[in-house]
Amino acid sequence: MTVSLWWLSIPLTVCLFLVLRFLNAKTQHAISKALTNPVCWAIVLVSALLVALKLPYEPFAKHSKVLSWFLEPAIVALALPLYQQFIHVKKNLLLILISCSLGVINATVVASFICYLFDAPAQLSASLASLSVTTPITLLVTDALGGIPSLAAAMVIFIGVLGAIFGNLIFSLINIRNAQAKGVAIGTACHAIGTASLIVEQPKAGAFASVAMALSALLSAIIVPLLYPVMQYVLV
Amino acid sequence: MKYLISSAIILACLAIAKYLTALFASTFPAPLLGMVLLLILLLTGLVKEQDLKPSATPLLNFMPLFFIPAGVGIIEHLGVINEHWLLLLAVFIIVPLTSIILIGSLFAYFKGRENDS
Repeated sequence: MTVSLWWLSIPLTVCLFLVLRFLNAKTQHAISKALTNPVCWAIVLVSALLVALKLPYEPFAKHSKVLSWFLEPAIVALALPLYQQFIHVKKNLLLILISCSLGVINATVVASFICYLFDAPAQLSASLASLSVTTPITLLVTDALGGIPSLAAAMVIFIGVLGAIFGNLIFSLINIRNAQAKGVAIGTACHAIGTASLIVEQPKAGAFASVAMALSALLSAIIVPLLYPVMQYVLV
Repeated sequence: MKYLISSAIILACLAIAKYLTALFASTFPAPLLGMVLLLILLLTGLVKEQDLKPSATPLLNFMPLFFIPAGVGIIEHLGVINEHWLLLLAVFIIVPLTSIILIGSLFAYFKGRENDS
């Protein structure tokens, strides 16, 4: 092929995302909202297209770099919602902080242990160490640990969808009806996708879930790079 | 103008964070440090919510779009998924399940299981 079509990378990704998001906004039910998550489907569809046409990833990454550039300032901008939600949870801040730390530590310990049981290669266990956190942060942390960022991102997104679907079932099984407890648990373990679906059914959980999500992002960046080497050392 | 000011604040936080992490050769992700800096500016009132909104709102709104290219990188690692699918499935189910149960129970222990209790 003499003519390069790679310039289509960004228009294709953006259009696909906007169409998927429009469709997603039309769904009402909490579970169908999670199942039609636009990021999840955009990644699946673009990946499927590249694989089906036997196109390599490298040129796609190069030509869609502009999109990735915006990720860093967007992460900085997360300070705004964190600040706005702060006032709603001030009284419970310490408990939320402890809960988030517990969630982040649990995710790393459990994942490392499962990797140990399966005798997984180091690169794979590094990819699964930081899953209790929102996607853009897992990209950064996983990269720092020497894992595969895109694998971690995919896991995080799917975990979000799983939590959105089964979250309420788990809460009824362990007999928890407190919206604040649900918010913190889902915000930490299932980040944005789980939170979005929880808010549909329980708007009161929203502030707690958002703060838990932002705090677990911070805590992951502090805790995981310290805890992961310790886990690797203990589990040999 | 308001877009200029709000982008300048965000980019300045990011630039300072990048400088600091490079200076101390830290592994802490620079964008997150930038978020902490911006949060401190907001909490101390040095930066007002309204100054930030013009750029922050669209950035946050389209954030999912910005990590789609990174997510598509998964196609380079399909072999790993194929080989270790059982491990990935186990992590996929057990990690969020244990986290939700742990956090939910801890929070409910201190705040009660019922709503508004």
